[in-house]
Amino acid sequence: MIKLFSLKQQKKDGEPTPRSGNQKKASAAQLRITKDINELNLPKTCNTEFPDPDDLLNFKVIICPDEGFYKGGKFTFSFKVGPNYPHEPPKVKCETPVYHPNIDLEGNVCLNILREDWKPVLTINSIVYGLQYLFLEPNPEDPLNKEAAEVLQTNRRLFECNVQKALRGGYVGSIFFERCMK
Amino acid sequence: MSNSSSSQGHDSSSHRWNHLKKVLERPGPFCHPEFECSPETLNFLMSSCKILVVGAGGLGCELLKNLAMMGFKHIHVIDMDTIDLSNLNRQFLFRQKDIGSSKAEVAAKFINARVPGCNVVPHFCKIQDFDSDFYRQFHIVVCGLDSIIARRWINGMLVSLLSYDDNEELDPSSIIPMIDGGTEGFKGSARVILPGMSACVDCTLDLYPPQVVYPLCTIASTPRLPEHCIEYVKVIQWPKENPFDASIDGDDPTHLNWIFEKASERATQYGILGVTYRLVQGVVKNIIPAVASTNAVVAAACATEVFKMATSCCKPLNNFMIFNDIDGIYTYLYEAEKNENCLACKPSSIPKYLKLTSNEMKLQELIQLLMDSPTFRMKNPGLAVNIEGKNRTLYMSTVPSIEVKTRENLKKKLSELDIHDGTKIMIADATTPNTIEIVLSIPTFMEMSNE
Amino acid sequence: MSSLSPKSPDQSEKSKKYDRQLRLWGDHGQAALEYAHVCLINATGLGSEILKSLVLAGVGAFTIVDGEKISDEDVGVNFFLDPDSIGQPRGEITTQLLLELNPDVRGDAIDESLDKLLTNNPDFFNNFSVIVATRLSEKEIITLSKKLWEADIPLIVCQSIGFIGSGRLQVQEHTVVESHPENQNPDLRLDCPFPSLKEYFDQIDLEAMEFKDHAHTPFVVILYKYLEKWKKLHNSSKGPSNFKEKASLRELIKSGIHRDEQGNPLAEENFEEAIRAVNYAISTSEIPQSIKDILNDGSCINLTGKSKPFWIIAKAIKDFVENEGNGYLPLRGTLPDMTADTAKYVAIQQLYRDQAAKDAEIVFRRVQQLLRQLNQPDDTITENEVRQFCKHASSISVIRGSSIADEYTFRNISQKIVTDLESPHNLMVYYVMLRGLDRFYSEYNTYPGVYNDQVEPDIVKMKACISRLISEWGCSSFSKDDFVHEICRYGGAELHSVSAFLGGAVSHEIIKLITKQYKPINNTFIYDAISAETATFTF
Repeated sequence: MIKLFSLKQQKKDGEPTPRSGNQKKASAAQLRITKDINELNLPKTCNTEFPDPDDLLNFKVIICPDEGFYKGGKFTFSFKVGPNYPHEPPKVKCETPVYHPNIDLEGNVCLNILREDWKPVLTINSIVYGLQYLFLEPNPEDPLNKEAAEVLQTNRRLFECNVQKALRGGYVGSIFFERCMK
Repeated sequence: MSNSSSSQGHDSSSHRWNHLKKVLERPGPFCHPEFECSPETLNFLMSSCKILVVGAGGLGCELLKNLAMMGFKHIHVIDMDTIDLSNLNRQFLFRQKDIGSSKAEVAAKFINARVPGCNVVPHFCKIQDFDSDFYRQFHIVVCGLDSIIARRWINGMLVSLLSYDDNEELDPSSIIPMIDGGTEGFKGSARVILPGMSACVDCTLDLYPPQVVYPLCTIASTPRLPEHCIEYVKVIQWPKENPFDASIDGDDPTHLNWIFEKASERATQYGILGVTYRLVQGVVKNIIPAVASTNAVVAAACATEVFKMATSCCKPLNNFMIFNDIDGIYTYLYEAEKNENCLACKPSSIPKYLKLTSNEMKLQELIQLLMDSPTFRMKNPGLAVNIEGKNRTLYMSTVPSIEVKTRENLKKKLSELDIHDGTKIMIADATTPNTIEIVLSIPTFMEMSNE
Repeated sequence: MSSLSPKSPDQSEKSKKYDRQLRLWGDHGQAALEYAHVCLINATGLGSEILKSLVLAGVGAFTIVDGEKISDEDVGVNFFLDPDSIGQPRGEITTQLLLELNPDVRGDAIDESLDKLLTNNPDFFNNFSVIVATRLSEKEIITLSKKLWEADIPLIVCQSIGFIGSGRLQVQEHTVVESHPENQNPDLRLDCPFPSLKEYFDQIDLEAMEFKDHAHTPFVVILYKYLEKWKKLHNSSKGPSNFKEKASLRELIKSGIHRDEQGNPLAEENFEEAIRAVNYAISTSEIPQSIKDILNDGSCINLTGKSKPFWIIAKAIKDFVENEGNGYLPLRGTLPDMTADTAKYVAIQQLYRDQAAKDAEIVFRRVQQLLRQLNQPDDTITENEVRQFCKHASSISVIRGSSIADEYTFRNISQKIVTDLESPHNLMVYYVMLRGLDRFYSEYNTYPGVYNDQVEPDIVKMKACISRLISEWGCSSFSKDDFVHEICRYGGAELHSVSAFLGGAVSHEIIKLITKQYKPINNTFIYDAISAETATFTF
C-alpha cells in the first residue's frame, strides 16, 4: 500500500520532466495495427496496397482467387481501422462489384468475424483469410444477394455461368458488372 | 498567489468545513496506516490539490458537485459536448436555457457560483487536444465517460506519464491515479486505477461489453425483430438511397422520420410488430438508458475514492465496485487483476531507452542495431514514429507496398527524419507479442562538449 | 417537415426530456411518478440529495418539513444552500434551489420542527405518497413510525454520519407487478404445449426437410421434437431432469444435425441454440414457489370489498390456474430471438401472442366477475392492467414489511444481530453503532464527539449506551471498541459524498415504491464508505 501524496511534496508545477519528453503516447489502436500490418502473412493470392504508407489505418486488400468459382477474378476490399481497434472490428467493404451470395451490390460483406463474431484476438490477417474463404465457399444459406444465393442453391451450373459473365464484364439479369479479371 | 492562498486559508478555518475537519483532523482506527491527522490535509485539498474531471455529463455534473463539497478547489473539467434537452433528467447543473451551450462551461460556472472559493476551469474541447504537459499537472484524474475509446485514451495517457529509474523501478511520484465511473440504467461501476501498479482499463477490456451487433445476413434476409428492420434501413438502405445526401444524423428529426418510415414498411412486409419511433431513436443513436439516481450513486462512490486518495484518510477501493439497484440494492467488490499481456500497461510496453552515439546514424544502421543488439535481437522490425500527433511509417520490410514507399528512408540520417534525443519509436517485430516503444537517447551537442 | 412525413409521431418536449428514463420505467411509470407527492423531513445534505434525484426524474410534488435555520456547517454539506442564505429557514431555501432543477415539479416548505407539526397537525402526513426522513431522534422515529404504519403510508428513515450511511424502509405491504427481472427464462411451454402450438409442432417433419429449411427452423421446434423423441426412448412422461439425462438429450439433438458427404456435421446454428437451451428452456412451465405463495396468500384467497387490484387480479389468476390453465400460469406470450427464417419465426411468435391474449381475456373476465361479487365498480381494473399482470405473472412480488417502532421497542431481533456480529466483516456492527447513536442522541441531545475535547469522554458514554442496548436485546457482551471510537470521531459530521451515494440509492427506492416497478429493499440498508461495501438486513 503506497501513500501517494506526501504533503511535503504536494505541489505540481506542471514542468515537463525532461526524460520522458513530450510526445503523445501512441494509441493502443495504433500500436496494435502496426503489429498487425508488420506481421501480415498472406497467401500468394492476396495483396495489400497502402496508398499512404504513413496511414496504417486505411488500406486495401486485393484478392485474386486461384481456384473455385471466382478463379481468375480480382477483388479489391477497402479496410478502415477505427480508434477503438481491436475492441471493434475494422470496417471492410468490397469495392469491386461482384456477383456473390454474401456480398451485396453496395459492397457490404456478410462475414461473421466482421460483425457479431469479432474478437480482439483476431487480426487483419484473420479477416483476409475469411474473405478469401468466401470466394472458395460462397454460402447460400444466409445471403445478402438473394438472387445469387437462389441460383447457387438450385442450379450450380447456372451460378458458375453467371459468375463468369460477371467476371468478364456483362449483365447478369438486369445488373451490369464491370470486368474484373486479373 | 499570496492573496488567494490567504483567502483560502481563511476559508479552510471557517465553520463551513467542520464536517470535513472531523474526519481529517482526528485519528481513527480504520484510517490508512500512514494517515497523519492534521489541519494540513484540508489545507492541501484547498490550496494545492489539482483534480481533472473528464466528462461533464451525468457523472461529470455529480462529480463536480461532490468534489467541490468535499473541499477540492482546483478542478478542471473537459467535455466536447453541448447540452441537449434529453440531458436535463439527470445533468442537474443545466437548465432549459442552457441547451446548445458547452457542458463544461455551464457546469463550471454553476459550481463556481454555488460554492464560493471553488475554481472549476472548463475546457470545451476533446481530450485529445491536450498533451502530456496538461495531464501531468493533476494529482488525480476522475472520469465520467460513456465512451470506451476516451477511457482508453486517458488510461494510455496516464500510463505514458509513468517514469522508471534505471533499474526499471516505478517512480511513485509519477503515478496519477485514475478513478473511473460508468453507468447503464440501474447498473453502474466505480474503479480505482493506479497506472503501472494495478489493473488498467486495457487490462480489463472484456468488462466493457461490445455493442449489440446483428449478423448482416439476418438483417438482410431473415429479419425477426423490429431492431433488425431498423438496422437494415441504417446499414443497407440508407447508403443505397442516400435520401438527404448526407450520412445519418441521429439528432435530425427528418432523418429519424425517414428511417422510422422505411423500417415500418419493412416490418409490415415481414409481419414484424413493434417498430416505434422511440425504438428507432434508440437503435440509430445507440441510446443507453440513464437515470439521475444511478449517476448520483456512482459519482459519489468515485468522489469518495478521490477524497480517500488525496487525503490518505482511508485505504482506497481495491479496486472495482459493481452497483445494481434493480432488485433491492446490491454491490459487489473485487480486485480486477493486471493483465500481463496488456497492450497499454504491461512492463514491456513501458518505453525502453536505446542509447545512440549520434543522430547522424542512418535508419538502416538503426535497424541493423535492433537486429544485432543482444537486448533486442529482432527479426524483421517495422518502425513507425508519431511526430506532432501524426503517424509516420519509417520502414516496414514485410508489406511490399509500404516497403517500396519507405525504402528511401533507409539511407537517410535520423536527423533528416526528424528523429532526435527523446524521440519515441514504435517497433513491431515477430519476436515480441506487441508493438514496443523505444525512446532514443542521443547525446546533445551540449552534453558532448561537457564531456 | 411534417408534410414530408405525415405519419411521423409528434414527440412532446416532455418525452424528449425524460427519454432516457422512459426507456426504463415507461410512460405509465412516469405518470405514476408525476402523480406522487413526497415529503422530506429535515433538509440535511442527505435529504436534499434524495429529493434532487426525484425532482430531476419529474416527481409531481415535494414538501420539506424543517424547523432549522441555515448554519455554516449546513452550507458545507447541502449543495442546495448558499452562503448568502445563512440564518434563513433551511427547508425554504432548499426548496427554492431544488425547484430550479425542474419546472415541472411543485414544492413547498413547512418551517416547523417535526415535533411541533405532529402536535399541531397530527394528520399532516396522511396525503403523501412516501415520507422520507433524515436525522431523526429515537423518539421522533418511533412516533412517526407508528403514525405512518397506521396510515399505511411508506416511510424511509435515513442516516448519514461520517463514512457510514443507512436507510430503513417501513411499508406494510408493497406489491410489484413489473419487477423487471434480469436473465429471466423464456416461457415456452415445450413440456406442455397449448393446443395450437402442439398442432403446429406436430405438422412439422424435420427429417423430410431440405438443408436450408432444416437450418432455419427455430430451435423451439427442434427442442420440442427431440424432447418428445427422448421421452419415447426413455419411456418417460417427464423430460430430462438431472445432468446425465440432459446430456443425453443434448446428444440426441446433436445427432439430428445434417452432415456433408464425408459425414462431417454442417453448421446449423439453430441446433446449437437448441442444445444450449436444454439448460433453461425445457422445464420452466411449473409455477415458481414464490408465485404459489402469493396465490395462496390470505389476501388473495379472502378477498374483501377493500381488496386492492393486485390481489383481485392475483385471485383471478389463481382461479385461472386451477381451471382453464390446467395448473399453469397465463402464458407470457413473448418469444426470444433465435436463428430462423422470418416466416417460421413470425408464425410461432403469433401462436404465443394469440394464446397469451386468450389467457389474459379469460383472466379479465374472471376479474370482472370478482369485482361484481365484491361490489367494486367494473372500471376499477382495466383490461390492459390485467394483460400486463398476466405477462409478468411469473415475476410478481409482494413485500410485507415490519414497523420500525416494533424494531425499536421489542427485543426479539437479538438472535439475528448476534449471529451476524459473529462473522468478522459484517456491516451489522454499523447497525448497532447507529442504534447506539440514536440512543446517545436521545439521552444527551447531541451526537458523540461534537467537540474536540469531548471525544474521549463521549466514547465512554457511547460504550455505555451500546451496552445497555445490547443487554436490552438479551445479548451478552459487545467488544467492538474500534467501531465506537470511529463513530465518535465523526462528531455527528455528515460527509457530502457519502450522503450523495445514499441519496441516490434512497431516491431510487422511493421511485420503486411510487411506480410499483422493481423490487425495493427489505428493509434495512447499510453503506460503509470506508470499504465501499453495502449490506441489506431484514428486521
